[in-house]
Amino acid sequence: MLLINRKFIVLLAIGLIAIFQPIKAQEKTTVNGTVKDKLSGESIMGAVIKIDQLANIVVTSNEYGFFAISLPKGKYDLRISYVGYEEKRIPIALNESISIPVFLESKNQLADVVVESKRKDDNLIKAQMGTETLNMKSISRVPVLFGEKDVLKTIQLLPGVKSAGEGNSGFYVRGGASDQNLILLDEAPVYNASHLLGFFSTFNSDAIKDATLIKGNGPAQYGGRLSSVLDVKMKEGNNKNYIVNGGLGLISSRLSIEGPIQEDKSSFILSGRRTYADVFLKATDKFKDNILYFYDFNAKANYKVDDKNRIYFSGYFGRDELGLGTSFGINWGNKTGTIRWNRVISNKLFLNTSFIYSDYNYDVNLKNGETKFNVNSNIKDVNIKQDYTYYFNPKNTIRFGFNSILHSITPSIFTGTVNNSINKVGRNGLENAIYFNNNFKANQKLTFDYGLRVSAYSIMGGDIYNLYNGNEKTSSILLEKNAFGKTYFNLEPRITGNYRINELSSVKLAYARNVQHLHLLSNATASSPSDQWIGDSYNIKPELADQTSIGYTRNFKNNTYELGAELYYKDMQNQLDYKDGTNINTIADVESALLYGIGRAYGFELLAKKKIGLVSGWISYTLSKSERKIEGINGGDWYNAKQDRTHDISIVSIVELNSKWSVSGVFVYYTGNAVTFPTGKYSFEGQTIYQYAKRNTNRMPTYHRFDISVTYENRDRKKRETSWNFSLYNVYGRENAYRISFQDDPLDKTKTQIVQTALFRWVPSITYNFKF
Amino acid sequence: MRSIIYLYCAILFFASCDKIITLPIKDNETKVVIDATITDQPGPYFVKLTRSINLNETNIYPVIENGIVIITDNTGIKDTLKYAKDGIYKTKLIQGVYGRTYHLEVNIEGNKYTATTTMPSKVYLDSLRINTFAFNGENQYSIIPVYTDPVELGNNYRFIQKINDTLDNNYNIFNDNLNNGKINQRPLGRGNKDISIKNLDLVTVEMQCISKEAQLYFYTLSQQTGGGPGGGTAPTNLPNNINGGALGLFSAHTSQITSIRIPKF
Repeated sequence: MLLINRKFIVLLAIGLIAIFQPIKAQEKTTVNGTVKDKLSGESIMGAVIKIDQLANIVVTSNEYGFFAISLPKGKYDLRISYVGYEEKRIPIALNESISIPVFLESKNQLADVVVESKRKDDNLIKAQMGTETLNMKSISRVPVLFGEKDVLKTIQLLPGVKSAGEGNSGFYVRGGASDQNLILLDEAPVYNASHLLGFFSTFNSDAIKDATLIKGNGPAQYGGRLSSVLDVKMKEGNNKNYIVNGGLGLISSRLSIEGPIQEDKSSFILSGRRTYADVFLKATDKFKDNILYFYDFNAKANYKVDDKNRIYFSGYFGRDELGLGTSFGINWGNKTGTIRWNRVISNKLFLNTSFIYSDYNYDVNLKNGETKFNVNSNIKDVNIKQDYTYYFNPKNTIRFGFNSILHSITPSIFTGTVNNSINKVGRNGLENAIYFNNNFKANQKLTFDYGLRVSAYSIMGGDIYNLYNGNEKTSSILLEKNAFGKTYFNLEPRITGNYRINELSSVKLAYARNVQHLHLLSNATASSPSDQWIGDSYNIKPELADQTSIGYTRNFKNNTYELGAELYYKDMQNQLDYKDGTNINTIADVESALLYGIGRAYGFELLAKKKIGLVSGWISYTLSKSERKIEGINGGDWYNAKQDRTHDISIVSIVELNSKWSVSGVFVYYTGNAVTFPTGKYSFEGQTIYQYAKRNTNRMPTYHRFDISVTYENRDRKKRETSWNFSLYNVYGRENAYRISFQDDPLDKTKTQIVQTALFRWVPSITYNFKF
Repeated sequence: MRSIIYLYCAILFFASCDKIITLPIKDNETKVVIDATITDQPGPYFVKLTRSINLNETNIYPVIENGIVIITDNTGIKDTLKYAKDGIYKTKLIQGVYGRTYHLEVNIEGNKYTATTTMPSKVYLDSLRINTFAFNGENQYSIIPVYTDPVELGNNYRFIQKINDTLDNNYNIFNDNLNNGKINQRPLGRGNKDISIKNLDLVTVEMQCISKEAQLYFYTLSQQTGGGPGGGTAPTNLPNNINGGALGLFSAHTSQITSIRIPKF
């Protein structure tokens, strides 16, 4: 605590210095504006604005394309640039504060690299670490399983990000668990970002504009998870023309429509997707009663009230259905809704107010003779957020605001002819945060991004909270409905510094503390709909992570190549697990079976990119370690977390053959997960039972795979675009181990047999996409 | 429920394939295995002492012949078990009565292992019911044991199912976390993939009321044998009630056996 306080004071001091530094007593005026795509009217985040006359000024547009710069009166030339767009030069005469619209025109030849940097050498000036932005337009050529381009699977090819398993959209960032990633869709948290048990993600690429992944060093406006933030933004909808977009694949199809409601004033996008594997199942005798599909639907609209006010509505609805005829069914899905109000309060002050709703639930129903029951579980959030961006002066851009979330979590509750023996009720928790963040350009070489987030989680009434000391229940607290119980306060300081050594290279240093108040209990390795979320309680304390990282970036050959290296160390506190033999879905009080401990993760990440040219792509390498120490597991000693993989390599390459044909390939290689294999066996009641030693000291076999994809694009005179994508997953058909199990040899019961199950060998797919 | 989800995975990804592999397996620490059971049926009861072996060895488990095995109960009876053969020791005096607490003490070459367990009250198995389930044009049968769970919480059950003469290897471990005090509606699961219940089959079910420790042991075992994608939860040695570092379990449970013949539908 002392340490935190000291850090906090240092940060505060830096903050004050930044704000109160003497400003020249010259009359200042402000130029502000919104950067947009000329053709679609979509706002552009991260566009770089520079001024010819003042070399040290660099401002970037925010999430809504907005920017503001305070300058002395005079004549200036603004230069606005964004990757994939023609640079635009706008001369201005600044006698009083003005607003200018900026429309950028997309280049004919798109920059194809998926992981783009906003400006050619922007990577060298930004005080942001471990951050990558994926643009949907450009990930379309990276081959993926079933030919369905997928943001969650593409981020797994970045350093420090590991896939949760073969074909799985779940991911681990820097040794953290999968529930330690905050996945946001237009600011709404998505609690289960996968369909079909992980083989698809909930993000329909037709509806998504871009996605930004921040690996633990997020600015103070983000909070609530330990490992990362994945901020996914939906398209706003073209406000000039109507466009129909779609794709037909072997497993699923997509369709989306976008266009203006009133030209230049309002627009919409509607997007839907459904799989149809069940249609094929119906045609077979053996599986005709099986139900298996998912669908999802995205909608967004925006309305420009006047030059200063704009409102956005966005929503997502997705559902998975599995079933056996009418007798058994399970379905689950997310619903999210966001209303956002952008307001330009003054020349320098931008406000966004958001009202956010998010709901994840799953429902199992079983009907069998007289036995009829449902099992239902859900997590629901109602969230209000205000985020101010204050363009104080060209050196300081300040963000501050608050966020207040009411979480309602209902554990698995049985209704019907089967009921929980001890009545279970849902629990509420109130999560509040206030934050302050400043982006401070000290001089042309040195930039800081620092901030403080203060978070508080209050336990709310309506349930009995039991307190445990190890196995023993020591007391119970009955909190009346709407009463507040214990509140956990946490300070979350963050700072990132960037020092530009020379024209070609920079060095970065960062520290951040992250706090997590919601925890996921999962009884399977892959994401399962029956996983249970639980909030802080009297026993469960907020999870904490302190991450320190250092990085070096260098550009080569006129910024064509970029090489980045980062080293991180992360300490984690109050990590959760549960005792062996616990059924987390039926147990009366899951808190009676929880175990607590600590974790540590460290690693080295390398990313080499070729950003432009006919051949582009990247190579990423991660060397890492992730361990846990939990009282009651492995004799209380350190052990490898299951996602601990020593080496992780991804190579992505995209080759532009001509204007119509392109070829791309992905190669992935990683050390197998840490697992526990038996060391011995014994006989009990005549059955073979396995004996185990230390936890997770064994390894799954090394995983590697090569995928290839060929895209043919055609554009006719009426600007209709069609494309064919042919891809082959696992080209050389490696049988990568999905599971390893031990059993008595069926032919000789006195021997033990080790069976390896592999999922996919050669998965070909064809997708037809159209846009008109 | 989990198994049904995995079944779907299997259907969806019909391309999955199995193969036999070899793995470098570390040396095993040999441990004493105690398999001790007392039931409410007339004795004698048996305690079997063996040792664990390396994974790659043939399943011939070394028996322990020189152990000293003593069982006492809370009525003051002390029974020193007599060695029979094959590592099995036999009781003389101890009687299995529900509600009684039993204490086991085993001495092997100067190492002492102890365990305590209480036989839970008996819940009677009233009958067996056939559960029919039409799926993909075929009738599937399963057995529902009919019994009324007592009002007090904390009852644990184990069911052992035999189809004709074949013992099913599934661990059917029930408790009253759900439907406490009600008539059971849950059917028994089956483990052997290659045996299904068909018309005219004779199904025999043994119902055991087991202790909390036995429930934890067998339920953990059932989770580990199930396995999930990527291996499920990390397996560990089964939690048991034996002090001193031995594997196995000391269980005192009730036992009742009933059978039913599937009619020709």
